[in-house]
Amino acid sequence: MSSTSTIDVIVEEITVKAPAERIFAALTDPAQRVAWWGLKGRFETKHMESDLRAGGHWLMSGTGMGGKPFEVHGVYRTIERPRVLAFTWLPSWDTEATETLVRFDLSERDGVTTVRLTHSGFAGEGSRTRHQGWPQILDWLKGYAES
Amino acid sequence: MVTLNQRRREAVFRVIADPTRRKILGLLRGRAHTVNEIAGNFRSSRPAISKHLRLLRSVGLVETKREGTARICRLNAAPLQVVDAWLQDYQQFWRESLRGLKRYVEDAR
Repeated sequence: MSSTSTIDVIVEEITVKAPAERIFAALTDPAQRVAWWGLKGRFETKHMESDLRAGGHWLMSGTGMGGKPFEVHGVYRTIERPRVLAFTWLPSWDTEATETLVRFDLSERDGVTTVRLTHSGFAGEGSRTRHQGWPQILDWLKGYAES
Repeated sequence: MVTLNQRRREAVFRVIADPTRRKILGLLRGRAHTVNEIAGNFRSSRPAISKHLRLLRSVGLVETKREGTARICRLNAAPLQVVDAWLQDYQQFWRESLRGLKRYVEDAR
């Protein structure tokens, strides 16, 4: 697994020994998604709704840290089954959050699929005042931490 | 329960959410400024700028000291680490989620 994160974009990549279609289904089928998306005792997904079409809503809810309920929801932006899945992301647990964009790119080769996740928009035009200027702020921080 | 750290963290986010305060931080990034010099860069009233500076000081982003009759303001970027940590939390979240996906898909074939 590799990860890079520039100033305001998170990128994570993992290789899965399965066809892209299998992974796409695990991401978008509610029954499958609740089976894997979570960390025991920290973030357990119990319920998902998914209107799988561009502009369709999705919602995921469950139990977070300390048994506190959480909910995250958004709208599907890009669906190119089984290669691309992009949706907006608005979590309930983070009071500082504004709507950001999550994108999965699946590239399959010989039955092995590279899954690349990109979480962006922390400082983009999709988010509002709260995040504007973050790239600059993080840039300062980097300068400060490295000096 | 909201911990002290969380409260501090949210205070930093609130303070930097304001464009005027971010502009002040930008000025101070170049060099230390007196309060008058800072105020000279804005159309807002001097009391309004003082209020922004007070908020910046309250979370430790700006430090001031007196030199004669002038007050010198300096940037201290350390409190911005909460912003970085916020992004890192997400990175950790995705890393672990993708591991869960891999386990699920590879085991359930």
